[in-house]
Amino acid sequence: MTASGLAAIGAYAPRLRIDAAEFEAAWGRFDAAGIDAKAVPDADEDAVTMGVEAARRALTAADASGTDVAHLAFATTTPPMAEEDLAARLCSILNVPDDAKTQTMTGSTHTGAQALDATMDGGPFGDGIGLVIVSDCPRGDPDSEVEHAAGAGSVALVVDDDGPGAVVDRASHTEAYPGTRFRTGGDDRTTGLGVTQYDREAFITTLGSAAERLAVPIDDLDAAAVQSPDGKLPYRATGALGVDAETIAAADTVSTLGDTGAASAFLGAATAFADDAERVLIAAYGSGASATLFVATGPVPVETALDGAVSLSYAEYLRRRGEITRDEPEGGGAYVSVPSWQRTIPQRHRLVAGRCVACGALNFPPTGACNDCHERTGDFEAVELPGTGTVAAVTTIEQGGAPPEFVAQQSSSGEFDSAIVALDGPSGEQTVSVPAQVLDTTDEVTIDTPVVLTTRRIYTQEGVIRYGFKAQVASQRR
Amino acid sequence: MRDAYIIGAGQTPFGSMPEESYRSLFDHAVSEAVDSVDHGIDTDAIDEAVVGSLGVGGRQLGLSGPAATEHAGLHGIPSVRVENACAASGYAVRQAVQAVKSGMADVALAGGVEVMTDMSSDVTKYWLGVSGETEWERLTGTTFSGVYAQMASAYLREYEASEEHLSMVAVKNHRNGAKNPKAHLGFECSLEDAASAPVVADPLNLYHCCPTSDGAAVALVASADVVEQYTDDPIRVAGVGAASDRVGLFQRDSYTAVSASEAAATTAYDRAGVVPDDLDFAEVHDCFTIAELLAYEDLGFCDRGEAPQLLEQGTTEADGAMPVNLSGGLKSKGHPIGATGAGQIVEAFKQLTGRAADRQLAAPKYGLTHNVGGSGGSAVVHILEREAAR
Repeated sequence: MTASGLAAIGAYAPRLRIDAAEFEAAWGRFDAAGIDAKAVPDADEDAVTMGVEAARRALTAADASGTDVAHLAFATTTPPMAEEDLAARLCSILNVPDDAKTQTMTGSTHTGAQALDATMDGGPFGDGIGLVIVSDCPRGDPDSEVEHAAGAGSVALVVDDDGPGAVVDRASHTEAYPGTRFRTGGDDRTTGLGVTQYDREAFITTLGSAAERLAVPIDDLDAAAVQSPDGKLPYRATGALGVDAETIAAADTVSTLGDTGAASAFLGAATAFADDAERVLIAAYGSGASATLFVATGPVPVETALDGAVSLSYAEYLRRRGEITRDEPEGGGAYVSVPSWQRTIPQRHRLVAGRCVACGALNFPPTGACNDCHERTGDFEAVELPGTGTVAAVTTIEQGGAPPEFVAQQSSSGEFDSAIVALDGPSGEQTVSVPAQVLDTTDEVTIDTPVVLTTRRIYTQEGVIRYGFKAQVASQRR
Repeated sequence: MRDAYIIGAGQTPFGSMPEESYRSLFDHAVSEAVDSVDHGIDTDAIDEAVVGSLGVGGRQLGLSGPAATEHAGLHGIPSVRVENACAASGYAVRQAVQAVKSGMADVALAGGVEVMTDMSSDVTKYWLGVSGETEWERLTGTTFSGVYAQMASAYLREYEASEEHLSMVAVKNHRNGAKNPKAHLGFECSLEDAASAPVVADPLNLYHCCPTSDGAAVALVASADVVEQYTDDPIRVAGVGAASDRVGLFQRDSYTAVSASEAAATTAYDRAGVVPDDLDFAEVHDCFTIAELLAYEDLGFCDRGEAPQLLEQGTTEADGAMPVNLSGGLKSKGHPIGATGAGQIVEAFKQLTGRAADRQLAAPKYGLTHNVGGSGGSAVVHILEREAAR
């Protein structure tokens, strides 16, 4: 029993970009063939926040919501926490029911395919849906091929029983090829031995062997979205997969986003379906080595935010990567214990405000006496806010103006806007104010600027990443 | 209830004093306050003490009241630390007045102390934000400069006010502070200096922000029953008002008014039986220059939105109809958090008793002090009255 319908795909890449020319200027060379530019996560982005961005877009495209999700699989080679079920945080942020089956998968760039495979096998979902979130932001040592190629991006696939799209066939192959691309325990930098012929053999053998197992012919493809650690390797597999270079190029994302790791092949499929592709091969490969092929048919509704908006210099890039920045200074920051943070998760993840049962005013956070009538009713009617609003007061925190726990963020990303946002109530008639950072923007943020809230890292304390909301200038939402 | 009087008040210089500890600073302030009592006072006559301090740097965070008073030789008496952020010692004075008025003490000491300049800038920044709303407001990356800057953004949007008005407050207070030998930043600055300083939190620049200072200040409060033993020129605590509000700006009713200040002032005027026009001067809480503009309106010196005109007209200059911050204010005199409120009482006492030297007003009768905690989570207002005709 499976679910093989593809109801929608959402895709996201950070707005920050760096051109290959910046690397060439810094290093005298650029080691990632076939990449013109790549996406760079901001200081408050990681695989979880990018995954949320893709998932929200996929749910919108599917005309579904988090409450419909019966099975959520999260796949990344760059989990922000090495141990912890990050699917739990994603479920909380996306409002997925607590009886949904969850999987957090990692280990190789093949993990996105494993997540889709497992989710399909978790069906049928009846009225519900499966949600596969594949999000990745690999990194390597600054002078390595991996780092030169390393991009960032995320994809979410809504799997259901009926489509409109469908996975019509799938096949895998696993064969031991140690040492092609790896990361040792405790390290956050991916590396490889660079044994060119061996690496290619692993890639071609696993993908080609999987292709031989497909039952349906793959000769009528509009695009072949092939794993792209750089812009050259996927084209080495034309023979093994039986597809031509043009078909692979039709699903290219590596040239503009860089190596998106586990999300690579799926991002390619997202762009192909966004271009009205009818039949797409998804060819995912991971070092170790293993490969899975999916033959998917459209139409599949797609919502993407893949365009870049800001070009970084190489020095700015190093700051965003944390290579030349300072950590949180000694002396610590405002202490918010993990249990007290956990009690506010409905507000931080889902904007749950409260309506005072005495006077009807909206309260955020909904605790204590009513902020408006000051009655201590001890009870608020839970109200989920839509997350839109306008700036009511704002400042730009310059160097030296931030508390110590935001020094690292400021060191990476520079000055930031901090605002009070009047958030719209559920039916627009009332507002309730919240403080929020405003995401870096090319426009000036002033009072009355419309914003939408999104999920980002707020800060890390005691080693625990705290996710919450930040505001984004509405006109800048991609 | 019987009346309470300020019979003496004194303070250390405000500034950076690496040679001093919080205890030695407090001790110096006690000595100056004791020495300022007309007929003298034996410290054994002090029945109890209230010490304001935020505790910046940690230091003696617990039992810092007794730690300070025992060091100053005030042995054995009840002593307690009060914490209300930057309004700590304003509230300490209020507590001492309460003790005296209630009859529990005939003489009570109210003081405050803070040491803020012996730490790295990172550690200082940690402490500067601890009185902001911690779980939400601070986690948007703000300390107080950011929160007051948000208030400034709203004020500049709502009223006919500009960044130049923010700078004008700095120029005025530095001009006053240059005449105060106890001032931390006792130098004059030009409007150009004040307008061109590096931005801290837009629209606030460095000159729109007060410094962080070391210092201590002490006031001695005596009852009507004993005041004649100590002075022939009694300074009566004519009115006290205090109020609280939500700690986080985002939960307040207004971003362009400090409601707690307004409520505290209303109570103080009512108790004192005076109106703003009766005042001869005021020491207001100008931690950021926007705060002084808000104070003009919160304290009823002018209507909402008219603070910039009051400033332009020179009303609040030293030679104006309502001189504000003759001491230099927090901006120039300095802001050792826990000592600030008591320090304002010191200036008012000096003005009313004719001891303010170069910045002395001619025969003032009523002076107001205004001390704010955080960005307006608490406020306390005192109105002092010189009873004798001059």
